[in-house]
Formats: sequence, structure tokens, C-alpha cells
Amino acid sequence: MPGGALSRPPPAMAGRLHQLRKRLFSNWFDGIVTLLAGAALVSIVVNLVDWAFLNAVWSEADVSQCREVSGACWSVIDARGRLVLFGLYPFDQHWRSTLACLIIVITMILSCLPALWGIKRLSALWIAGFGTFVVLMYGGIFGLSVVTTEQWGGLSLTVFIFAGVFVLGMPMAVGLALARRSKLPVIHWLAAIFIDTVRSLPLLTILFAAAVVVPFVVPQWAQGDKLGRVVVAFAIFYAAYQAEIIRAGIQSIPSGQEEAAQALGMNYRSVVLDIILPQAFRNTLPSTINQVVITFKETSIVTIIGFFDVTASASAAVGRGEWGAYYIEIYVFVALIYFVFVFGLSRYGAYLERRTRLHHG
Amino acid sequence: MLRVLRNRRTRGYVIQAAVLAASLLLTLSFVLTARDNLVSQGIATGFGFLDRSTGWPINFSIIEATDRSPYSRMLLAGFLNTILVGLAGLACATCVGLAVGLMRVSSNLILNVLGTVFVETFRNVPLILQVIFWYAILTHMPSPRAAIDLAGLGFLSNRGLMLAAPAWSALDLAIIALSIIAALFAAHRFGGTRPLAPWGLALAGIVALSVVLLFLGHEPEMPLISQPELRGLRFVGGVTIKPEFSALLIAIMAFGGAYIGEVVRGGFLSVDKGRLEAARALGLSNAQINRFIRIPLAIRAMLPALTNQYVWLMKATTLGIAIGYPDYFMVVSTSINQSGQTMELLLLLMVGFLLINYTISGTMNWINGRLAIKGRS
Amino acid sequence: MSFSRSLGLCTKKDAAWIAESSKPKEEVIMIRSTTKTLTAAAIAACLALPASAADPGPTITQIQERGSLLCTSHNGSYLGFAEVDDQGKWSGFDIEMCKALATAILGDPEALQLIPVSWAQRFPALQSGDIDVIIKVTGWTMSRDTDLGLQYSRPYFIGPTNILVRSDLGATSPEDLEGGVFCINAGTSIERIVADYMGARGISYEALNFEKAEELRAALYAGRCDALAGFGPFLAATRFNAPDPEGFTILDAVLALEPEGIAAREGDDGFIDVINWMMSALLMAEENGITQANVDEIRANPPSASVERLLGASPGVGERLGLSDDWAYTMIKAVGNYGEIYDRTVGENSVYKLPRGKNHLWSNGGLLYSLVLD
Repeated sequence: MPGGALSRPPPAMAGRLHQLRKRLFSNWFDGIVTLLAGAALVSIVVNLVDWAFLNAVWSEADVSQCREVSGACWSVIDARGRLVLFGLYPFDQHWRSTLACLIIVITMILSCLPALWGIKRLSALWIAGFGTFVVLMYGGIFGLSVVTTEQWGGLSLTVFIFAGVFVLGMPMAVGLALARRSKLPVIHWLAAIFIDTVRSLPLLTILFAAAVVVPFVVPQWAQGDKLGRVVVAFAIFYAAYQAEIIRAGIQSIPSGQEEAAQALGMNYRSVVLDIILPQAFRNTLPSTINQVVITFKETSIVTIIGFFDVTASASAAVGRGEWGAYYIEIYVFVALIYFVFVFGLSRYGAYLERRTRLHHG
Repeated sequence: MLRVLRNRRTRGYVIQAAVLAASLLLTLSFVLTARDNLVSQGIATGFGFLDRSTGWPINFSIIEATDRSPYSRMLLAGFLNTILVGLAGLACATCVGLAVGLMRVSSNLILNVLGTVFVETFRNVPLILQVIFWYAILTHMPSPRAAIDLAGLGFLSNRGLMLAAPAWSALDLAIIALSIIAALFAAHRFGGTRPLAPWGLALAGIVALSVVLLFLGHEPEMPLISQPELRGLRFVGGVTIKPEFSALLIAIMAFGGAYIGEVVRGGFLSVDKGRLEAARALGLSNAQINRFIRIPLAIRAMLPALTNQYVWLMKATTLGIAIGYPDYFMVVSTSINQSGQTMELLLLLMVGFLLINYTISGTMNWINGRLAIKGRS
Repeated sequence: MSFSRSLGLCTKKDAAWIAESSKPKEEVIMIRSTTKTLTAAAIAACLALPASAADPGPTITQIQERGSLLCTSHNGSYLGFAEVDDQGKWSGFDIEMCKALATAILGDPEALQLIPVSWAQRFPALQSGDIDVIIKVTGWTMSRDTDLGLQYSRPYFIGPTNILVRSDLGATSPEDLEGGVFCINAGTSIERIVADYMGARGISYEALNFEKAEELRAALYAGRCDALAGFGPFLAATRFNAPDPEGFTILDAVLALEPEGIAAREGDDGFIDVINWMMSALLMAEENGITQANVDEIRANPPSASVERLLGASPGVGERLGLSDDWAYTMIKAVGNYGEIYDRTVGENSVYKLPRGKNHLWSNGGLLYSLVLD
């Protein structure tokens, strides 16, 4: 049954055939299931290849060709792809948006390297990456023209929201988790109520509230612009989830360690920073990455409250003129963009999970 | 030592008092600033608007809600829409998730591959994109005049799925309810000790009683089944499942199914192999092992993750706004725009979702408590 | 509290405005005393400063300090009025009006930040200060004027509410659409107009509401709805953009004639004055044949005293609004007169080729006119 195939040594050629037969036709019921499921799989693949490749139009933007074929019209990507990727960002400044995106992607890849795992190193990396991103996107120095946030759009906006949420949310999450673990009842309960309430509300309502209600309840000097407010609200939402993950991680550490450290005369700060948090993070890496993946996907929700992220600019791209009929192609294109990020991240998470499992023996 | 303790305790009190005071002050300042802003811009406040008629209709509701209904009723209609699509979504996602999870732990290679492709496809694309995608597909079905005939069961068109439905009067419903109660009582009273026997008996009883009572007590001129038929621009009769509802449901089903599938897989993988081997050594058959050891243990392992998933999926129904499904969030959003009562309506929105989600997690925790193995924490 | 405002800009008018805002109403009893004290402090502080002759009001002062106008655009493309092209640039009638207003206040059509907001969010966004002004074909209705705390300018566009139907239905009047599905923009006045019109005639229909114009159009093109009810010019643009324009027809019936106004926050009369006179200047320029091309020539050689004042060749027109004297000249130089804006975005020089109809000067059979500039 499950996992059985994994632990065995790689079989020889004949053994492999036997293995295959055992996994496909071990008895008559299995055989029927295999045949039916196989037929379904084949028909899906054939139809997909037919639509996406064999009958598709790949040439440069010309809508008349697409009307004649039954397959996909990938020309629409050529015509509207830039709108999808950059949204409202000024056309002649698109290189900045591209570069900024690349920087965040590189930061993400770097922070996956175990060599950089450490609170100080990771913080420094992210603050540097995020800072460069903002400077590039916003401009105003080094001779870059100013591009205000409502012109940000497309992939770089998605990436910005994601990175902003991560950078702001992580410290908040640590704070909330520690507060919830606090022995002082008031702090414990306030943190608990806060976390549970935020977790019970849909992200959309929280973002909506940040966009429209916050300006009513905080004085003008503390409001910031809409994008800033939304990122902060999103970060709070992320922090509430991440805090629970960290708390679980802290709980998984034997309490003896904390007591031992205190007995050695270490103060609270260094117990937390040097003993508790590193272990808590290591123990919960898979769930943390899972949460990061979810957050990346959920950035698409900002499209509902009027931001031009990748999803919104996809709708805008098919909403006008002669390309409107080729909505599926655009949505598939955007889905692929998300897929690359999310699938990459979740594979990485699975790799870490296997790694930790191996270490634990 | 005592002094240190007392010191620490005093420090604790001081910190707590400070934090409490700060949060209260913050809340107070929010309230005061809000009041001031509202008053200075001449915006009306209070919940009086709930009694005013909305002047706009919504396209889907399980209770009567028209443009003459007051805001309170419209909000209730939206709330019920959220619950409807949420519960249907949870049920479907659980079924799909169970199937996918079993496929992924199955020994059959093809099923493995299918399950994995399903999970990776639907889990790695944002839900909102899937919602929009399915909606686009559903609205590109043929028009009502060219609707696809589903062999007497109903029709499929870009206006949705029109199905033949039982046309039951209140009397019929009462009869059915009565027969259910009677059958349940009988099953409880006379059922054996085998775990499935009472349920089988109850089901058979319900079916038999309902059929008999319905044919005896039914009003003669009313048809039992209402068939949809095209009249003018729309189908009349039967029930219509609108594309907005279906698209949201399919998306939640696929996305939730992929996640729940992973929960199910995790649950099965978490079952200690030693226990299975022990059961085998005791001479239990494969079916018995599955039924008495594997599935119960797996379900217990799944429940906490499942609770989180359910709460998450329920919240995800808010995405209905992207395709015009009038869920609670969309009705609130439109009401905000039409009445201008931003704060009040957002408050109602949040209270509504807190209510739903606390109910879900409460129920799941109760089930979890009932199922927990005695003697283990 | 009104602290920041009173600190930022202390003028007599502002103090009066603050005092107005703290008028005792029953719902403010709790904070009345606090507000009163603050108001008193604000008034005292304001009286201590010299008040300038022409006070532009808080919004304009804010815009001038910021150096840009925060104006509405759309979350997607609202054809003809706010649409985004392949390069992510905004264009359309409403966008041009934003440019005109930015030029009038700041002298530069580019001193403008276009904030994408959905229909449902335009009012909260205005109330919360995310935008200075709504120029988003926003109908003037009673609940918006009162409950929402909006202040409307004089109408800048007269919009009929029409119905766009699929031609294959063969419908010629709304009565033929009995039982049909209507797609409508969520959170707009159209929702109510249709409900009223159909209700009064006893025609049953099903309303399908969408937040975004894209989804609305997609639903219509796909046949999810039989008809699209909406603002006439938008319907014409939607028809033009359809994969098969011949497949759609706009019915003759006018469900309602709605004046579209520019909306600002209540309690800032100076700003509304500027908006109203901006509109008047655009119309007056058209009445007098002043265009983007000939404005310099006419300014150098004005045919009448009022044109001379309008173009700032003789002083007075700007100071009274708290603007520079040549604001109207700069504005016409930047965007042209009303007719030019119309023709460029939705009229004969655009792809949509909409006739002027009611949006013509009164002298040409329309409903628009300029106010007297004295």
C-alpha cells in the first residue's frame, strides 16, 4: 500500500515491468479501474494537446487568423501580454518593473538556501530586497521618475503585495505568537481574541475594511495610501495565521529546554531569540511554506477592491475589442504564471518536509 | 527570593494594565475619529436604513427578496446565499477530496497520476481565477433556445442547469417529515447492535413511508414532478441552478477538493504502520483492517486540518462577488454603495462571518471531542 | 478629529466649516463637549492668522499642497469614459474631465493621479479621502446627495438609460423582454431605474449584477443575459466592441434621463465652485468657438469682454476662485473645449462616433449651457 514503493531499492528492468503490472493490474477490479482512468487521462491529454498546440495559432498579433481555427489563439498573449504583466505602469518604464520583479524573485530563491537561514541574515536579505524593489518601482531618486502606487500593476504589484505582506507579517506573527504564549493573562487573552477574530473573517472583508473604513477611524497623517493600508491589513491577516503555526512550533519544543536555559541564567530575550524561535521555525517550515504559498495565491483577491494586479489586468486585457473572445488563453496564461511560483514553492516545501523527516529518522 | 517574585508579579501587573489601557485608548480614538469624520461630511449614521426599501433586486435568493424589500431582508437573503453555497461547497469538496485522497494513497499507478494531476492543477492556481474561468465556461454554453436536452432530466444552457424537480406542497412536505421522524424512531427502537443496521432500516422506512403516504395523500391535479419548459425567453418550472452558483460551487469543489484530498492523504499516511501489522497478525482481513483500524484512525488525524479547511472554504465564498453571485459580501457591498452606511454594514458583515465560522469550528470541535480516543490527549 | 485639517489650513471659512461640523445633533452628544473645546481652539487658532482674500477651501488647498489631483478611473475599462489601452494608459471622456480639472487647479494636465476604483467603491473612496473628486458618470440621486454626504456639481453629461439587446431575440421594446435576464452594473443607479421602470409596467425580469464592466460585457456577449441596461453612450461603445456589433441593438425606449454630475465631499463650497466654473468655461469656450488650436490667437485678440475675462486677458476670473487668472486659458490649451473633448473621446473623432444628442449646446438642440461670466 502507500509508501511501499518508495522504500524499496530500484528494481532491475524485468522487476520494473513486474512492478508496473502489479501497480496497474493486480486484480480484475484494479484492471477495470486502470482501463477507465487511463482512458479518461488519455482523452484529457489528447484534447488538451489538440487545443493548445495542434490547432493553435502562434503567430504574431493578428486576430483574423484566430477566427478560423478551433484551437487556442496564443496571439492574444502577444497583443495583450504586456498589459497583463505590467498593468498601468508607464510603458517606457516597464524595464524597472521587470527588474524589480526579478529582484524579489532572486530574494525568494536566496532565502531558500539553508546557508542564509538565520534571523539576522534573512531579515537583512529581505529588507535589502524589498527596499531595492520599492526604490525601483517608486523612483524619485537616482534620476528615476516618480511612479505613484496607483499606477503599479500587473505581476510586479502581485509580487509587491506578496513581499510586503511577508516582510511586515513575519515579525508581527512572532510578536503575536509570543503574546499568546505569555503567562500574563491580559496579554494572552488579547492576543488570543485578536488572532481568532482575524482568522474567522474573510480576507476580502479585512482588505475592504482597510481600503474604505480605516480612513474614517484613523487621523489623516496615519493613513498612508490605499495600497499601503491594504498591504498592512493583509500582513495582519497573514500574521494571525502564521502566529498559530509558530505557536505550534514553540509547543513542540520540550519545555525542559526553556527551563534549562532559564536555570542557566539566560534572559527572556536570548532564550526566545537563540533557543525557542530557531527551533520553532525549523519544526514548522513545511506549514510556514504552505502558508506562504496560500498568501501568494490570495494576493489575487486585491483585484476585487480595485487594484490592477495580474488577475485584474487579465480581465482588463480581454475586456476590450477584438481579443475579447480569447479569454481562456489569457486566463491560462495568468494561471501558468501563478502555477510557476506556487508549484515551485510547494515542491520546495515538500523537499524540506522530506529532509526534516529524514533527519528525524 | 520572595521579593524577586513579588517584583516580577508587580511588573506583570504594570505591563498588563498598560497594554489594556493602550488598547482601550486606541479603540476609543478610532470611535471618536470616526464619529467626527462622519459628522463633518454629513453622513447619516445608525441602523435606521435597515427598514428602508432597497430599490434594487438580486438575481438569486432562497427567500423572497425584491426591490421593495427592506435592507434587512436583502441582507438576510445574502447571508442565506452564503450559507447555501458554502454548505454545498463543503459537502462537494469533501466528497471530491475523499476521492482524490484515496486515489493518491491507492496502489494503482494511473489513479495515483490522476489524483496528483488533479491536486497540482487545482491547488496551484488562485481560487478567484478558477471562479472566473468556470464562469466563463458556463456562460459560453448554448442559449436557452438551443439548450442541451438532458434526456428528460432537464436542460443545460447559458442560463444554468434547468432540472425537473419534485413539486411538493406543504402537506407533502409535512408527510415526508413525519415519515422521517417515524422511521428514525422505529430504527432507534428496533435496530440491532450492528453499526449500520439502524441507518439501513431508517432509510428503507423513510422511503417506503414517503412513497405510500405521498400517493395516498397527494392532491390529484398537481403533478408530482415539475418539468422545465421553454416559455418566451426563459424556462418555467423545475428548478434552475444558475451559472453564478454553479461556477462558484465548481471552483470551491475543485480547489477545496484538492486541499481536502491532501488532508485525507495525510490522514491515511499518518496511521502508524505498526498498528496495521498488529491487526494483520491478529488475523483481521484487509476489509476489516480498513473499517476498524485504518479509517477511524485516519479520520481522527484529519479532523483538525479539516476544520481549518472548512472555515477557509466558507470564507472563500466571498469571491462570488467577482461573478455576480449575490452572497452576503456582495449584498453588503452593494448596500454600502446604495445606502452609504459603510461602517454599519461592515460591522454586520463581520458579525455574520464570525457567527458562521465559530459555528463551524464549534461543531467540528464537538465532533472531534466525541471521536477522540479515550485515554489519549 | 478635525485637528489635522484645522492645523493644516486655518482660514475663516475653515473655522466656520469646523463649527458647522460640530453642530449639536443627537448622535454626537457623547463627544459634543470634546468637539466643542477643539472647535473653540481651532477657531481661536484660525482667527490669530491672517485670512487670505480668496479662500479656495480645504480640498483645493490639499490638492495644491500635494501638487496633484486624485481623480477616479475604473477598475478595468469603462468604454468611452475611462478605458485603459494596451500600454496601460488611460483615456476617455471622464479622464479628460479629470485632466481639465487638474489643469484648472494646478495648470498642468499631468498633475493628476488616476485612482482605479470600482463603482461600489467610489463613494467610500471619496468619503475616506482616497480621491478628491468623483468623475465617473455618477448620476445625481437623492440618497447620494443626502445620506452619502456628497455634493454634486452641475451636470457635465446628460445620460439616457437605455437597453442593449441581442438582435436575435427580435425585441423592439422593453415589453418584449418579459422574463428576460438583464445585466446591470452592481451598485449603480441603473439598478433602481430598471427596477422602477419594469415594476411600473408589470414586466418581470431577472437582474444579474456585476461589479466590473468587463464581466458585464463578457456576460452579454456570451449570452448569459438577454439585455444590458445602462448608460446610453456606454451601451453604444459596448455594442461597437462586440465581436459581432450587428448581433446587438439598442432599443429606442429611454428608461430615464439622468444628469451625471461631478461629486465631491459635502461642506467644501469652494471646490464645487471651481468645478462648476470649470464646466462653464469649457462650454463657454465652445459657444464662442474657442478651441485648443485658436486659443492663443483669440486670447491675443478677444472678441468680447467676457471672453477676455475667461481667458485671463483681463484679471478677475481666477482670483475669486482662488486660482490663477489664466486657468481657463491653460485648461483649454491643454484639453480643448467641451465639444472637442466629446468628439475626441466618444464623438465623431473617436471610434464610437456617438452623436452629441442632448449633450450639445442649447443652441444646437442640446441641454447644455454656460453660466454668465461677469
